[in-house]
Amino acid sequence: MAKWGMVFDLRRCIGCNACAVACKQENSLPNGVFFTKTLSEEVGEYPHATRTYIPTICNHCEDAPCERVCPTGATWTRADGIVMVDRDKCIGCGSCIVACPYDQRTRLEPEMLQQGLFGNGRLTPFEEQGLTRFTVGTVVKCTFCHERVDAGQEPACVATCPTEARIFGDLDDAQSRVRQLIQEHRARQPLADKNTNPRVFYID
Amino acid sequence: MMASNVPIAGDDFRVGFRMQKAWGVHMATAFFFGEAGAGLYFVSQFFDFVTGMTVGLLMVLFGKAGGHLLHLGQPLRGWRALTKVRSSWVSRGLLAIVVFAVAGALHLLDVRSPFLPGAVSELVSAVALLACFVIMVYQGFAMSHSSAITLWNTGLMPIASLIYALLNGVLLTLVLGFNTPFLAADGEAVRLLQAAAIALMLLGLVTVLSMLHGARYGSEAGRAAVGLLLRGRFARWFIPLVIGLGFVVSALMMALAPRQFAWMLAVSGAQLAGYYAFRVLMFKAGAYDPVTGSAPRFRR
Repeated sequence: MAKWGMVFDLRRCIGCNACAVACKQENSLPNGVFFTKTLSEEVGEYPHATRTYIPTICNHCEDAPCERVCPTGATWTRADGIVMVDRDKCIGCGSCIVACPYDQRTRLEPEMLQQGLFGNGRLTPFEEQGLTRFTVGTVVKCTFCHERVDAGQEPACVATCPTEARIFGDLDDAQSRVRQLIQEHRARQPLADKNTNPRVFYID
Repeated sequence: MMASNVPIAGDDFRVGFRMQKAWGVHMATAFFFGEAGAGLYFVSQFFDFVTGMTVGLLMVLFGKAGGHLLHLGQPLRGWRALTKVRSSWVSRGLLAIVVFAVAGALHLLDVRSPFLPGAVSELVSAVALLACFVIMVYQGFAMSHSSAITLWNTGLMPIASLIYALLNGVLLTLVLGFNTPFLAADGEAVRLLQAAAIALMLLGLVTVLSMLHGARYGSEAGRAAVGLLLRGRFARWFIPLVIGLGFVVSALMMALAPRQFAWMLAVSGAQLAGYYAFRVLMFKAGAYDPVTGSAPRFRR
């Protein structure tokens, strides 16, 4: 069984946020909800200033604190390492949100599903069909596009990235590209001191 | 630039601290009633003070449970939170509330008109007291379990919960029992409760300051959170209400207070206001560390 993981190559990321747009489209995400974001920061001072980009996503941690604190078992981990949320079990208590060190979970408030992407209270046909997959008051997060992965495809953000800054693959396969990149570049995990053992790695 | 200069990013696509917004006023209200009610029941049971036990039980049943129901995104499914007692403090807390509701109600009925056999009566009383104790501390464990938020991630959080619960219990017992035969006839008990209240206020003050001290040096997010509480946008509430009114003023008032109902009411009001502010502000000031372990800024 594969153990899915992702590598972010910070040298390649150009901060276009095409990943965030592809994710919103693939998952029909409501207004204000993002499963992935590419953050930016300015480093240095003029004339030696530059801007760097930090893609962020659910890290599908091996020791996921969100799963541990969930009082209903709504958060669970698949055999392939993808951390999921069962919307039929979630009670929206928010324990997982305050337990996630990466702030990668969102509780769906009613207005998120009502105001529409244009913010005028009217839903487009695309939204009407897409929002049926969500339940108000429950928590949502990235699932590595598990339907695509199950069908042998890459997550939408990875497939869309124009610079191949996102690499997806099997962490248990020594020949996989993610595994080789992690070994070659001494990849680092985000907030490693939190001891969650994320399955997302950064190289720079 | 040092990491401490990283801004609070809000929802922007920027590197920075992010404030937790999942737990807010409803949750703080539930915590408030949970610890105040359980504390009142706990202290009252030691004195067999039925009014105190009844009010405490009602505070937990309606105040705490009501706050949680208002907070939940799917309140009708709330019963599901009983299913992960092995790993979730929220689950353990709900179990304690259910046990407390049943055992506490049975115990109160039994005190008013005894109907349980002696051994069973004592067992029910002990179970109610145990469940009550769990309610007094589990909220602290639920918060301290979150390694994501340095301000909360301290072993002092459950201790603060326990101290606040006992303090609330002592003060509410003094107020509710003031003109009743229970305290009017027992001057020694009043002096004991007053001394306990002052001791708990001092202990609470040291515990809260120690939590801030630990968070200040725990991580960048902890430093940012403490900065918000002591110098930033929450300082105008935290310092006068939590520290001033909740501990210093109420301790002085209690030490100097004549034995009058109005004074007890004023001390309790001051302390409870400080405690509610503590609960709200601890939620509002909770900050996540930036996910920037790989950012160039942090390599230097």
